[in-house]
Amino acid sequence: MTSNTLKVLGMTTAMAAAFTGVAQAQTVDMDALIAAAKAEGTLTTIALPHDWCNYGAVIEGFKAKYGLEVNELNPNAGSADELEAIKANKDNTGPQAPDVIDVGLSFGPAAKAEGLIQPYKVSTWDTIPDSAKDAEGYWYGDYYGVLAIAVNKDVITDASPTSFADLKDPKYANMVAIPGDPRTGNSSMMSLYAAGTAMGGKGGAETATAGIAYLKELKTAGNFVDVGGSAQNFAQGTTPIMMDWDYNVLAMRDKLAGNPPMDIVIPSDGVIAGVYVQAISAYAPHPNAAKLWMEYLYSDEGQLGWLSGYCHPIRFNDMVARGVIPADLMAKLPPAEAYEKAIFPTLDEQSAAKAVVAETWATEMGAN
Amino acid sequence: MKKTFPVGAVLTALFAASFFIVPLIATFYFSLKMTRGELGFAAYASVFNSAAFLNTIVYSTVASLIAILIGAVIIVPTAYWVRLKVPKLRPIVEFISLLPLIVPPVVLVFGYIRLFGSNSWLPLTSSTFGTDLLLVIGYVVLSMPYMFRAVDNGMAAIDIATLTEAAESLGASRLRTIVTVIFPNVRAAIISGAFLTFSISLGEFVLASLLNRPAFGPYLVQLGQDRAYEPAALAIMSFGFTWGCMVLMQLFATKKPGQRWLPRFAQRTTP
Amino acid sequence: MTLDVSASTADLGAPAPRTRAVRVTDWNWLGVTPFFLFAFLFLIGPVLYLVVGAFQNAEGAFTFANIIELGSPNIAASFSLSIRLSLLSALMGAVAGLLLGHAVILGGLPVWVRNAFTTFSGVASNFAGVPLAFAFIATLGRLGLVTVLLRDLFGIDLYASGFNLFSFVGLSIVYLYFQLPLMFLIIAPALDGLKTEWREAAEILGASRRQYWQMVGLPVLTPTILGCFLLLFANAFGTLATVYALMGSGFDVVPIVLFQQIRGNVLYNPNLGYALALGMVVIMGVSNTLYLILRNRAERWQK
Repeated sequence: MTSNTLKVLGMTTAMAAAFTGVAQAQTVDMDALIAAAKAEGTLTTIALPHDWCNYGAVIEGFKAKYGLEVNELNPNAGSADELEAIKANKDNTGPQAPDVIDVGLSFGPAAKAEGLIQPYKVSTWDTIPDSAKDAEGYWYGDYYGVLAIAVNKDVITDASPTSFADLKDPKYANMVAIPGDPRTGNSSMMSLYAAGTAMGGKGGAETATAGIAYLKELKTAGNFVDVGGSAQNFAQGTTPIMMDWDYNVLAMRDKLAGNPPMDIVIPSDGVIAGVYVQAISAYAPHPNAAKLWMEYLYSDEGQLGWLSGYCHPIRFNDMVARGVIPADLMAKLPPAEAYEKAIFPTLDEQSAAKAVVAETWATEMGAN
Repeated sequence: MKKTFPVGAVLTALFAASFFIVPLIATFYFSLKMTRGELGFAAYASVFNSAAFLNTIVYSTVASLIAILIGAVIIVPTAYWVRLKVPKLRPIVEFISLLPLIVPPVVLVFGYIRLFGSNSWLPLTSSTFGTDLLLVIGYVVLSMPYMFRAVDNGMAAIDIATLTEAAESLGASRLRTIVTVIFPNVRAAIISGAFLTFSISLGEFVLASLLNRPAFGPYLVQLGQDRAYEPAALAIMSFGFTWGCMVLMQLFATKKPGQRWLPRFAQRTTP
Repeated sequence: MTLDVSASTADLGAPAPRTRAVRVTDWNWLGVTPFFLFAFLFLIGPVLYLVVGAFQNAEGAFTFANIIELGSPNIAASFSLSIRLSLLSALMGAVAGLLLGHAVILGGLPVWVRNAFTTFSGVASNFAGVPLAFAFIATLGRLGLVTVLLRDLFGIDLYASGFNLFSFVGLSIVYLYFQLPLMFLIIAPALDGLKTEWREAAEILGASRRQYWQMVGLPVLTPTILGCFLLLFANAFGTLATVYALMGSGFDVVPIVLFQQIRGNVLYNPNLGYALALGMVVIMGVSNTLYLILRNRAERWQK
């Protein structure tokens, strides 16, 4: 391009930006950002297991592309851990302080309220759906998945169950499990919420109550196994029907490599999607590396990296419309029709559901 | 004493041994099942192929050994002193020594980062050596309950008052008494505490992970994500490795000058 | 500091003149200074903000709300559950450890048996969390090795007869895997201290084995056993990973409730978590006091 064309483009973009008001998608000066990030040299991440949304490949891609080091803290951290890590490291600029976090949807506003994160809008900001980002740019959705059911075909040799209602069948005695405690883990909470939606709940507290009732019914019938579903318990046979995010069970299927063979079912009666959000720590020791990381994640390359881990990147619809998703990658995902009915619980619905679970889970499920 | 065949003892030992070994056998059996339809060591090969295995286990072994040394040096004189000279402080010392069992390690490590972070009065986390030191100190703190209780029990069993008197009447200074008289007599107790310190520190996860050090614990967890057979293989391997280290420690620590390296099988009395 | 020669168990000769007495007690305090310094810097210090946080709310203002919430039915039930489980586990561990110690150390078995158990106990005492839970699931779970063997070889259906690994009793059995070795390791030095001369003297005077143990052995060992019991209790009380891995969501012991508040993805009230931790410390304080009272009575006959 000639420099004149560049100038014209630059001016029109600037004018467009001036007119779009709230969503000020200023063009990011990538070269300056890259230089500043390289000067900082490292990025510190937290809670990014390599097998979750193929973060392993995403991190490697980032390192290879920009030559930065990546310090990976505690891959097992929960969303609350990540906020706690920022708080504990407020005055610490050593390698223990996380630069960027990846947390559940409800933790975005919580982090903003506690002043733990700083705003930043990536260059592809406009293509992120409004419902999945903070208007001021403090947090922004990164990927989503839907609640699926994994079935161990060594244990369940005939047709797999296809819905939550199916799981009530007595032939599944001592087989159904959720990943852990709904009061601790997001995926367990959403399993409960999806079951509640399947049982007719219309959202928020009502769905949570329906979900708890459903699990209680399974427990009384003897179908529910109290052990947390994990790859190990699944393969060993103690939790042969396991609920979890679709990207987790798809990654598990790859890792187990047919030992045991498994089916992945998106339940027909309740499809719940969960969004995770990215944010930059307000006390990040390497803010420019953090911003470059965000640019990478929200570029087509980063988003496809997540897709290879079976997570639906937040710009999925935009990328499909532009036709940039390779066909073989699309083929590995479950059929798109299953996702059409996906419901995205809002922040309010989630907090109402959590309140119900906190109150009634222990008494209903006899944990005491 | 009558020398009859110790039926009760043998049965107890056999029962305990099977209680310990059967779950390990079950784990081992599961770890062999990685290749479908046959029993093989594929899970173990997969673990060995990962480069980090050797690095992290060496790092953790060294850190654990240093933690044992520091722990012994701090705890043994304290237990001795408290028993002998300041028994009024004994309840407080015991209570403090039990605290690490109650405080969640995640709270401990966040406390360390706040107290010794890069902007604090003693910025240990700013350097690799400082952070390593903080990690080892964390291990000492975590194993304090076990080390203290073991050494305290050892001191209860020997008459430290008489030993001290005898040593002092022969002209030994306090330091010399501790080093040449007390330490050797509670060596078995220190070894018990050392074992516990070692096994706690080797697989410890929370401290190493949040202080960002390349230890064995975080490696174990990282490899166990989403996998079924490798974690079982790792559990068996780390169990075997730790047991091997303890056998070595036991041999080195209890060998008397001129003693054989391997025990005689015909021996029937305790040494 | 007054001259307190009576407190020390060492008889250092005639009572020293006043000036020397002051130096003696100063020196004594110096002996425990390294420990207290270490403990303050690296244990109590980092944890102080936990105590402070227990009395704060999310905005940092002072409040008693967290402490009051400790009395709510759910949390009170968790404390009750934790205490019951820890008491049972400590009792099982103490008895089993004592029996094993007696068999292996005093029972006339070859030395290599003791060494094998000692080294194994060192490893097993820290074998907990997910690997231990899985080992027991693979052994005594519904599709576990032993369950299947019992069913196929002996026709015994373990689960039909009422056993369930995922229950209070099942969990105590799993706890035993690390409590038993811990007790064994820690009581071993005390068992070594039971001099054979005492046993021989008792036999010469005509005592049976039971009488020896009742009148000589157990009284000597009681303070040590009490100390070990306290350690086992605290150990069981603070266990988190094993419960979570085995019981999923069905067992609300206090560390799990704490975990939900401090670390969870769903609930998030770290101040309540700190209050819970404070509650645990208080319980430890109470059990420590009980232990001291009992130990003082048991040690009365000692000088």
